[in-house]
Amino acid sequence: MNSTRPDDGLVRVRGVAKHFGRKAAVSDCTFTLPEGSVTALVGPNGAGKSTLLSLVAGLVTPTRGEITVHGTPVRGRMHPDVSFLIQRRPLYDRITVREMMRAGGALNDRWSAERADEVLDLLAGVDRDAKVGALSAGARTQVSIALALGRMPKVLLLDEPLSDLDPLARDETLRIVMTDVAERGTTVLLSSHLLTDLGDVCDHLLLLDEGRVQLTGEVDGILADHRVLVGPVGTALPTEGAVVDVSHTSRQTTVLLRGGPEPEGWQAEHPDLVSLVMRYLRASRARRAPARERSRTGAPHPS
Amino acid sequence: MTWIVWRLQRPLFITLAAGIVLAVGGALLLRAVMTADIAAAGLADCVREGLQRGVGGACGSRQVMEFQNAWGNRMWVAQVLVLGLPVLVGVFVGAPLFAREYEQGTHALAFTQSVSRTRWMVTKFLVTVLPALTAVVVIQLAVAHWVAAAGELGPQQSGPFTAISFGVAGVSPAAYALCAYTLGMFVGAVSKRTLVGMSLALGAFVVIRFVVDGFRESLGTTTRVTFDDPFERVDKSAGLTVDGGWLTADGKEVTDTSRYDFSDCATKDSTTCYHEKGLVKSFYDIIPADAVGALHLAEASIFVALSAVFVAGTVWAVRRQV
Repeated sequence: MNSTRPDDGLVRVRGVAKHFGRKAAVSDCTFTLPEGSVTALVGPNGAGKSTLLSLVAGLVTPTRGEITVHGTPVRGRMHPDVSFLIQRRPLYDRITVREMMRAGGALNDRWSAERADEVLDLLAGVDRDAKVGALSAGARTQVSIALALGRMPKVLLLDEPLSDLDPLARDETLRIVMTDVAERGTTVLLSSHLLTDLGDVCDHLLLLDEGRVQLTGEVDGILADHRVLVGPVGTALPTEGAVVDVSHTSRQTTVLLRGGPEPEGWQAEHPDLVSLVMRYLRASRARRAPARERSRTGAPHPS
Repeated sequence: MTWIVWRLQRPLFITLAAGIVLAVGGALLLRAVMTADIAAAGLADCVREGLQRGVGGACGSRQVMEFQNAWGNRMWVAQVLVLGLPVLVGVFVGAPLFAREYEQGTHALAFTQSVSRTRWMVTKFLVTVLPALTAVVVIQLAVAHWVAAAGELGPQQSGPFTAISFGVAGVSPAAYALCAYTLGMFVGAVSKRTLVGMSLALGAFVVIRFVVDGFRESLGTTTRVTFDDPFERVDKSAGLTVDGGWLTADGKEVTDTSRYDFSDCATKDSTTCYHEKGLVKSFYDIIPADAVGALHLAEASIFVALSAVFVAGTVWAVRRQV
């Protein structure tokens, strides 16, 4: 049911760039999110993840490029089919949860109080008469998600939905989101640093670095396209395919290779999602501070 | 939408309501006590007729002094309070309107729902500006009602054009409040900091009031009053004197008499002396007291125009907000 043909995306982003003053937060981003997919948006701090989510939500107008959801362009305001969970979880602190949900109804053209209630009732349940400002981080996230899902979105954008949560709340929060995906086929784009939590739920990956898309597509396909090579120090680097990252210990060299055939003289295996992303992040850091990184690892400047 | 703005601003509305109740209750009480004082001192006639006509009579007496000592300051304080209300509205209601949302990040909550930014702005603006202006006007009328009971023994004796009397009468308090409120809203939306917005609103509004005060006279239409006696002065209660001087026989205005030498006059009588030198009449250009309403409107239109500019600025600032 999850078609990944590029033209079939529910969310299509074409050549999008956003500049704040002279600084480019996002440049030349092109990707699609297939209907019903769950995409992990990963990248180092400052990679432009939040800006990209704000662009897709319609909170920020792109400097260049076009974003469409369900074929209709997103520009300057919230798309009716999109819900956005902001990292800071802004809520009106001085009112009760019940009043907050009433506000959700008042602020939205399409609103399902039943859906919002369902989400609030999940897990331990959220006390409707509690002041929003007094809620725990987990309950606050649950209220934010209830507000987001009450809009009956087709696309759910989640910015760091799991930050500040204890392991149990993390697990439960993901469960709420995945229930919605399973029941309604909601398309999800979520940014997170917690790779281990994402591995189980995400079928697509969008890796962003310095505002540019490094990798996009199905997780399985991406993993199959990469190899982790382990060999003795001094082994010649493979000539075919792209070397993403090289790291050394005193005895052996580890290489992340994209594409190409399996090279001679290396032990090769396909990476898991966590190690793949880790190596991309490390390569990104090395690119940003090449001198310091080279002196630490003794590695050549990775391309 | 209206409900949620109302709910979030509830503490403000409670404060405004309490302010109205206190001010109206206080003004009515003080009026009652003051009226009783006037009656007890037998000054009822002076309230109507003022002091001039009573010099030497009952109204020039110790009772009037005592009354003014007791009540003059109280009425002055109340009027200054009314004069300050628009500033309070700008600083405490206007400035935090958007700045506090930005500080707490809750603007992003509204922006991620389906309501448009314009509707969000308009609703927030209207739901708070109407109660705030109502409070200003009700308190203005309550204080005016009290002060009016002192009649010619109160601030009224100095005419309607003094800085205080003018600022607390007619449409002025409402116009000032609207301007201060929109100014606060604008600087709050631009600075995105409540405290910065409040300080800027306070400073900028005081400057605006001061500047407009400086050219208020030129907004009114003047009437020329002339006297055959060059030394006859226009009655203060007639209106606000904008210009004055003397007229020659052919109607030329003379405001500076330093080039005339009056020492060689044939007579010691100044009036005759002036006539001899050709200064046959004195003139005063006044804004008549009964035209004070028009002056209020003229000045208010400036403040309303400024408000429109501030509203447009706020719309611009909120629209470009990420």
